[in-house]
Parts: sequence; C-alpha cells; structure tokens
Amino acid sequence: MVDELELLKKDWQKQEASLPKFTKKDIYPMLLKKSSSIVKWIFIISMAEFAFWIFMAFGLKFDSESISNVESALGNTEIISTVIHFSALVFFMAWFYKNYKKIESTDSPRILMRNILNTRKTVKYYIWFNLIFLMVGATLAYAMVVNNSPDTIAVDNPMLAALAFIAIMALFIGGLLIFYRLIYGILLRRLNGNYEELKKLEV
Amino acid sequence: MDKQLQEKFVALLEENQNIVHKICRLYTNNQDQHNDLFQEITIQLWRAFPKFRGDSKFSTWMYRVGLNTAITLYRKSKRTVKTQDFDSVMFRISSEEYDDTIEQQLKLMYSAVKELNDIEKALVFLYLEDKNYREISETMGITEVNARVKMNRVKGKLKKILNP
Repeated sequence: MVDELELLKKDWQKQEASLPKFTKKDIYPMLLKKSSSIVKWIFIISMAEFAFWIFMAFGLKFDSESISNVESALGNTEIISTVIHFSALVFFMAWFYKNYKKIESTDSPRILMRNILNTRKTVKYYIWFNLIFLMVGATLAYAMVVNNSPDTIAVDNPMLAALAFIAIMALFIGGLLIFYRLIYGILLRRLNGNYEELKKLEV
Repeated sequence: MDKQLQEKFVALLEENQNIVHKICRLYTNNQDQHNDLFQEITIQLWRAFPKFRGDSKFSTWMYRVGLNTAITLYRKSKRTVKTQDFDSVMFRISSEEYDDTIEQQLKLMYSAVKELNDIEKALVFLYLEDKNYREISETMGITEVNARVKMNRVKGKLKKILNP
C-alpha cells in the first residue's frame, strides 16, 4: 500500500503540465468578484434574523389599534420589556460582530471552523432568548390581561382559552424551530461534520 | 486597495497557481466547479493578503488559505452545468512510462482518494505535495503525532477501498 501511495505521489507531481493556466488578465477580474462563502451566507441570514426579531419586538407595536386595550392593561410592563429587549439586541449584536470579526481564513482549519460556529451560535442564543422572552412575556401578558381587563378577552371557558393560547405558542415556536433547523441544517451540515472530524485529531 | 499590492498579489498568484488548481481538482468534479472554487480561493487569498507578512513562504500560506476555503468556506455553486466530469486520472501519463497495470492501479487510487472525506483529502493532498508531518500538522493545526496516526488510518481506508 505504501508503495502504491508513493506511486501516486510521483504521478501527482507530474500533473503540472495538464493543469489549467490563468494569466494575470484572467486573475485581475477575479479580485473584483464577490465571495459566496459560507461566512457571507451566515452574515446575511443572521442580519435577516435580527431584522425579523426587531420587527417582531418593536415594529408590530405601532401597527395595531386593537392592541391599545391590552397595552393599557399591561401598563409599565410594556416599557420594561422594551428596555430589556433593546438591551439584549445591542448585547447580542455586539457579541455577534465580535465573533464575526474573528473569522480569518489564515487561521488553522479547526480554529476557523470554531470561530464560524461561534458566530452562528451568538444568533442561536439570540433566538433562544427571544423564544423564552416571548413565552414568558406572552404568558404574563395573558395572565395580566385576563386579571386586569377581563373585557378585552371574552372567554366562556378559561380552560379552553388557555389551551388555545398554549397551542398557538407551541405552533409558532415549533414552526420557527423547524425553519431554523432547515436553514442551518443545510448550511452547516458539512461544516459541522468536518469540525467533528478535526476535533477528533486534536486531543 | 493599493495598486502596487494588487500587482504584487496577482504576480505571486500567477506564479503559484498550480497549488490552487490542484486543490480544485481534488475537491471538485467538473470544470465549472473547478473555476468556481478557484475564484473563491482567489478572493479569500486576496482578502487575507494585506496581513501576509512574508514570514512564511507565499506557497505555504496559500496551502492553508486554499484548503480552508475548500474545506470550510466554499459552498458549491448552484449552477450545475453538466460538463464532462474529470476523469480523476486524465492527469496525463504517457503510456510509454507506465504499463497498463500501473495505469489501472493509479486510476483506482485516484477514485479512492476522491471518496475520502474533506479532512482526509486535505491530509492526502499535503502528503502528495511531499510535505513532511511537521508541515502537515502546521497547515492543518493538529499535532504531528495525530497527523501521523490519521495518515496511517487514511492509508488503511484507501487500502480497504482498493481491496474490498
């Protein structure tokens, strides 16, 4: 086997003549082209995710008149939640940017992969934060509205309403999780595999 | 970016382009993908170039950025124009030099290498490029001992593929 590999090595080194040759004229335009690397995709998707959650957290509030009743029922809680949300957004974006800046193609493959995965992780934590925040927030809001302003939601059967509320939350969260799994599953499958493979080599 | 730097980079890349082509051959299956990966490696090299301080050889530096791009950064382009796949062994060889058995053996070896996973391919590539274990370990960021152990395992794997 070793001999066969040596044979292959000799052959490999003779292939130069058959390799394509690019001239300077071919290379110059390449420098102007845009990268389509995985890092760029992670960046684009992450920005879309931040935008989505910013919209969910801040944009929707200005939109709906029917919410005003609920808001009056919630009182100051609304302001507190906005402050928490905004601080979290600043924190996660700064963290994301810091990790993103660390990605260098000149690092060793394992460090490069780790830094890419860490960058992605900051967005993942942000999503988790949002989901938990949403669940806790919605449950609290629901309880407060039911207690403080019973007219807003006319319920005949509180048990059924609570179940419906849980079902809607579960559907929303489940849908999001499947969506993320699909996007990142496809995007990161190869990277994760290679990272695991390299990790085994570095004890 | 400044013109002088660009000229210097393009000259260095033109001179050392074989390294990039060889990585492309190993990691892609047709000419379109080959050119696509070449393009992406060029972009990554160019981006990293301002930080290249010349304390290592340009070629050594290229191995790392090139392999990083092939293994980690590159996403196969969706445009899958059907061109004729590379015969892994169309790599020339005048028939006077090798008899048929060797040719056949080489063909098998090349297709076996193509079946390896990305990391194994990188190790075999550096081995075929005549890098020693210290250089392999530095490029891949793994210990020399592990590079050796893994390389032996890859040899075993190739053997299995060749003699099932």
